[in-house]
Amino acid sequence: MPLALLAIFAFFAIQSPAFLSSRNLSMLGIEVSITAVLALGMFLVILLGQIDLSAGSGVGLIGGIAAVLIFQHAWPAPAALLLSVAVAAIIWLSMGTLIVKERVPSFIITLGGLLVFRGLHWLVIDNATIPVSRGGEANFYSQLTTYYLPPLVGTLLAAVVILAIGFVSWRTFQRQKASGTAGNGEQIFLQFFVTAQLLGLFVLVCNAYRGLPLPVVVLGVVAFLIYALTTQTPFGRYLYAIGGNEEAAVVSGVPVARVTIGAFLIMGIIVAVTGFLQTAYSGASTTTVGSLMELDAVAACVIGGTSLRGGRGTVGGVLLGALIMAALLNGMTLLAVSPEAKYIARGLVLGLAVWADVRLSRRK
Amino acid sequence: MSAPLLAADRLIKRFPGVIALNGVSFDLRAGEMHALCGENGAGKSTLIKTLSGIHPAGSYEGDILVEGKIVSFRNSKDAETHGIGVIYQELALVPEMTVAENIFLGNEPRIRGGILIDWKKIYDQSKELLDRFGLNIDPAAKVNDLGIGHQQLVEIAKAMSKHTRVLILDEPTAALTEQEVAVLLDILRDLKKRGIALIYISHKLDEVFAIADRITTLRDGRSITTLEATQTTKSEVIRHMIGRPLDDLFPRRSGTAGPVILSVKDLTVMDDSKKRLEKISLEVRAGEVLGIGGLMGAGRSELLLHLFGAYGERRAGEVMLGGQALGPKHSPTESIRRGLVLVSEDRKRYGLVLDQAIGFNMALSSLQDLVRSLFGSFGLIDPNQESGRNQEHFQALRIKAPGLSTPVGTLSGGNQQKVVLAKAMMTRPKVVLLDEPTRGIDVGAKLEVYELVNKLTDAGQAVVLVSSELPELMGMSDRILMLADGRIGGLLNKAEATQENLLAAAMGNLPARNLS
Repeated sequence: MPLALLAIFAFFAIQSPAFLSSRNLSMLGIEVSITAVLALGMFLVILLGQIDLSAGSGVGLIGGIAAVLIFQHAWPAPAALLLSVAVAAIIWLSMGTLIVKERVPSFIITLGGLLVFRGLHWLVIDNATIPVSRGGEANFYSQLTTYYLPPLVGTLLAAVVILAIGFVSWRTFQRQKASGTAGNGEQIFLQFFVTAQLLGLFVLVCNAYRGLPLPVVVLGVVAFLIYALTTQTPFGRYLYAIGGNEEAAVVSGVPVARVTIGAFLIMGIIVAVTGFLQTAYSGASTTTVGSLMELDAVAACVIGGTSLRGGRGTVGGVLLGALIMAALLNGMTLLAVSPEAKYIARGLVLGLAVWADVRLSRRK
Repeated sequence: MSAPLLAADRLIKRFPGVIALNGVSFDLRAGEMHALCGENGAGKSTLIKTLSGIHPAGSYEGDILVEGKIVSFRNSKDAETHGIGVIYQELALVPEMTVAENIFLGNEPRIRGGILIDWKKIYDQSKELLDRFGLNIDPAAKVNDLGIGHQQLVEIAKAMSKHTRVLILDEPTAALTEQEVAVLLDILRDLKKRGIALIYISHKLDEVFAIADRITTLRDGRSITTLEATQTTKSEVIRHMIGRPLDDLFPRRSGTAGPVILSVKDLTVMDDSKKRLEKISLEVRAGEVLGIGGLMGAGRSELLLHLFGAYGERRAGEVMLGGQALGPKHSPTESIRRGLVLVSEDRKRYGLVLDQAIGFNMALSSLQDLVRSLFGSFGLIDPNQESGRNQEHFQALRIKAPGLSTPVGTLSGGNQQKVVLAKAMMTRPKVVLLDEPTRGIDVGAKLEVYELVNKLTDAGQAVVLVSSELPELMGMSDRILMLADGRIGGLLNKAEATQENLLAAAMGNLPARNLS
């Protein structure tokens, strides 16, 4: 997959030099962040062997509710966002409960959600365009995608993150050595080295424009939390266990119902966050905001090696998958590819990527 | 003397990190029944996969010879054309297709060699084939509607349709009832009379001695001996299999029983609006093993599952664990927290997440002990504590695997069972419910399970042991509760527990004085 990403970058860089400009890479950073945040929520749901088709409509609805509260009812932005998050949490909690207690498949529940939320979204905004701030003044909502960290802060942050990743890599290596499963020190170092280089490079490029975009920081925080959740906590182990073999998980005493509902609750909060980012990026809530985003999120997971049957996948893979999907869309927009061709290309890449992955992993 | 029909000469097969075969030599004469015995992981499965072309030529060292000539199979189709057919433990039939469709699956005759399938020929030939081997099966029946025993016979017919000269059977009786086993063995004897050579793999030495001409034992990837069945004994074969004499098959050490830990009073359980258990009462004391027996469908597993909180709806009665009521509606999560743990009879379905590592599976039931209780499921797992604890149980149970990160799906049955047991032990239970804990595992691993039972009761824990093997039940239990059709058939102490009494109790025919 990293090779596919490299190929995509190379192709667009040759076709349009503007692709690698610091301005476009900053924009790409924002777009990747939005796709990836939602994909990370979807990752939890897919790990369980479930799916959330309502995520895209939810993004539109929740972003729309916040916009309406601010623009039409003059709420302060933080209060509007807080209430919207609460609404999302309640909706996803209810969907999770329905899936667990009433045993309706998540595919059906969330397919229903897709339609219901789309309708609600249009109702809430009355099929109009609702800006995220009144009279064009900046507020917390609008600044979500227009605020850039000052270069010094961005650089310092990158340094801290690189050091932290280095520390974790080193500890992983030590632990593997202690348990006798080592031998991959070079690979761990290489991974760390490449990640650190890319991160540093990205911050430098962003600093050449306006600084590190805020959504990238949001993604960093969400990715860190989801990584810790899935790899370091019982909750995360339970996700893998339920997706891998639900019956065995039940007999092993895994609280399957609570974990499933919990995963949907987290998904709801992530949908809200994505809704704010995506709506802010558009500048206003319109009927098309969030449309089909659930499919990009699923695609990012699957391209990143997450099994749709559940029980398998990593945060790193999902991030890579999101980067591929976002880079593709950004590059094609830059080349002024027609919308119909964009859809076809995204679909083909999804199919091709997964096919190649299956082929390669089978050869091993 | 003519060359053997099929022979292996000093086969060596390596997998990453493991040598599965380390010099196996073995020969099969025309028309003989040759049994392969060995513990799980001894190399039996690898040997048949090598003989049948699943591990292709070039992936192993040594030679395979058919009628004295070295052959190199590239795949299982090559082996089939040499007349070697295999029937695996997991049957390879399509449940939704008919018997005849399955027999000719992948070999469908065509109308005038064209593209249309000649259905008439399929059914006619299937009928003829089934009749020839005296199999009373309708070729138009759906495989799904047949019992597992008949499905096995369909597999045999399928193999015979390919002009098989050597038929390899891997644990063919593992899932069969005694009657079905008898039918199968008769058919195998018949095949032998028709000149077909058979390789028979089984853990059940009774069957092996009932049917085999010669017995080859494997241990740690080597062939140890090949003996004429008439000139050896079970204990000699076991000695070769485990590499030491086996003094006592059931090393139960009874101690003094402590206070009652688990008590059940007048328990009646419904499922699907049917009564599955009725008026069950029992007591289990610290340090004792309560055996539970009964015929198939008597409600043994249902009782354990209900106590654990994973089955049925309680209509009446109460369950007390450590002096406090358990249920009527409790979850397995609660049971485990209170000190009651279950090891299911179906380890692949209810015991393990097969894709995941040994360590992942071992720790799954006791992760809450590794985090600060303040954060519950969202706390951080202490990795050092986890790996230390896993390592300790990995060694204590002598799990044979490269390491804790090995996927559990790649282990042999006995080692998988040890992982499930380790997972249960790590919850530090007061009462352990064991449902057929030795099913499908070899003699050596069985012995280790029994030792574990002793260790548990020595430490003051209580064990409830469900088994359908009477010798195991009699050998390992301090008291035995027999179930008959969802009710208590009898409660017998060690002295009363003869085969006759147990069977009488299982039929519900025990004299009244024994009913408690």
